[in-house]
Amino acid sequence: MRLLVRQAFILSAKDMRVFVRDWPGMAFALILPLVFVFGFSLAFSGVGPDDERLRLAVATEESAAEESAGGLSRQTLDALAASPETDVREWDAGEAAAAVEDGSLDGYVLFPGDFTQRVLSGGGAEIRVMLAGGAPPETEAALRGLASAVAGRIGAISLIAQGTAELAGPAALDLAELGRLAEAPPLISFSIERVGSREAFNASNFTLPGYLTMFVFFIAAMSAEAIARERQTQTLERLLANGARRPAIIFGKMLASLYRGFLQLAVLWPAGIFAFSIDFGVSPVAVIGVSVMMVVAAAAFGVMLASLVGSVKSATSAAVFTSLTLAPLGGCWWPLFVAPEWLQTLGLFTPHGWANDAFNKLMLFGAQGADVAANLAVLALFAAAFLAVALLRFRSAPAT
Amino acid sequence: MDDFLAADNLSKRFDGVQAVDSVSFAIRSQEIFGLLGPNGAGKTTTIRMLSTVLAPDGGDVEIGGYSVTRESDEVRKRIGVCPQELALYPELSASDNLVFFGRMAGLSGREAKSLAADTLERVGLADRAKDAVRKYSGGMKRRVNIAIALMSRPQLLFLDEPTVGIDPQSRNHIFDTVLALRGEGMTVLYTTHYMEEADRLCDRIGVMDNGRLIALGAPAELKAQVGDPATTTLEEVFLNFTGRSLRD
Repeated sequence: MRLLVRQAFILSAKDMRVFVRDWPGMAFALILPLVFVFGFSLAFSGVGPDDERLRLAVATEESAAEESAGGLSRQTLDALAASPETDVREWDAGEAAAAVEDGSLDGYVLFPGDFTQRVLSGGGAEIRVMLAGGAPPETEAALRGLASAVAGRIGAISLIAQGTAELAGPAALDLAELGRLAEAPPLISFSIERVGSREAFNASNFTLPGYLTMFVFFIAAMSAEAIARERQTQTLERLLANGARRPAIIFGKMLASLYRGFLQLAVLWPAGIFAFSIDFGVSPVAVIGVSVMMVVAAAAFGVMLASLVGSVKSATSAAVFTSLTLAPLGGCWWPLFVAPEWLQTLGLFTPHGWANDAFNKLMLFGAQGADVAANLAVLALFAAAFLAVALLRFRSAPAT
Repeated sequence: MDDFLAADNLSKRFDGVQAVDSVSFAIRSQEIFGLLGPNGAGKTTTIRMLSTVLAPDGGDVEIGGYSVTRESDEVRKRIGVCPQELALYPELSASDNLVFFGRMAGLSGREAKSLAADTLERVGLADRAKDAVRKYSGGMKRRVNIAIALMSRPQLLFLDEPTVGIDPQSRNHIFDTVLALRGEGMTVLYTTHYMEEADRLCDRIGVMDNGRLIALGAPAELKAQVGDPATTTLEEVFLNFTGRSLRD
């Protein structure tokens, strides 16, 4: 066992010597990810909404002239338009229905054409919330909230109108007066205060972990090519004939991948903090823990790949193919939580997916270390499975 | 003279092809034994089995009294392998290559450095020891390839076509090195396609073809089987035994 560990460390140290002399390889591992992060952070920096007002769609049926001329729905719309918290877009009822139908609008609040007349007559009026089939819950909540608020306010006016009609007769109803009532401050009001300043949206908080994960796995996968080359030049056989143990070669190669991965972490995380102002969230230790486990899984993935491929050419192809396939599936190019459900499900079959899910939880949603315990466990399982395949299938010579 | 290596009915089959078929021979201590044969004859497969990296399907080999199948760790302590390919790390210096293989063979860092310096001196590369091997000429790389095989302080050295594609000066240097090693007590198994090399270096020669050992003896003995030993060349012997048909 002591000999095996010694040989593994000597082999990994040699591999690192080779790595640090390979300047293009170093640049690929350490510089290129930063270029990607810079470019995509810049591209994604405009993704957040510039206008933070609540966007609402409201439609009116135009069957009654007074609604467009200054009826209660008109006055309600004007009041909403004046509010700094809302961005109300008015629709024609027919166009709104068509927009919902073709999917360009999630929903809207519909005022009936005879809204004012019904309110004043005391017969009751219906404000309808029209929603598309797949409307997001936040749209439904906003439109319901608007409808409820309007219903409550207009309901109070309706009571006044009814009282006035009963006491002084229907002729005493004055629409303009009712409008003023509608605009009068409510007895119970609420206010919204913004405390402190909202942090600007930083796309690097998901682009950096994503590309870090992708490039750690890419470099680990490329180690399969180096191993295949050593197999072809008979270096691995020479090592065996020289007294090296087969598991020592596998663990030595994996150790070298670990060193390279840790070097990537040591360069890319600080670069992210100082150059891209990324935020490790409330549990930086957990971010480091996930990073380390991700590197372990990647290193095991590299030796597994080496055990499955034959020639140098097939190793290169396998490394590029797996890297460029698993990265998008695993949420390295975009956060998985914005991806369709089927893609999120596929992401669960990749170590990248579990790593990125953990990074997103910790760095975007304020999760604690305990919240990513399952991610760490799954990454450890991936590493164990990859290593088991490598130990079973690793060959020191090309297939004959 | 004692046999240092004794192969008995060694066999290996790959995907239905009998690569090595019941090969038996012995190599005496301090002998330079030439293993000749056309491409695909089974020489390299035989060396891979002798050097413990390929398990034989049948038969066994004893090296220094230890079985390659049952006591491979003991065998590995006694052998050095110089493969046909340049099995080294071109990004590293010659010195770093030798120290690495020495340490993998069990030497301490200090021992490995000391032996690496001596060995590089022996193969004429002491003055270029710190240069990356990728900057070396073909002949220099071949010498590093041999030097690495010496880093385990072997008693038996396998040299698989060590002079392929190099200039006469480097080739002569390698001959001198091999002869010097034999003079120091080392046993050598040497494969080559250059018949004049085998004639000049080898005490005895085994000729393989189609996985079988078809001739065995001293160069003069083999020449006598074909014609007048004084005028017959080893190439004529080789062609007589293996035929003139082209091989892959």
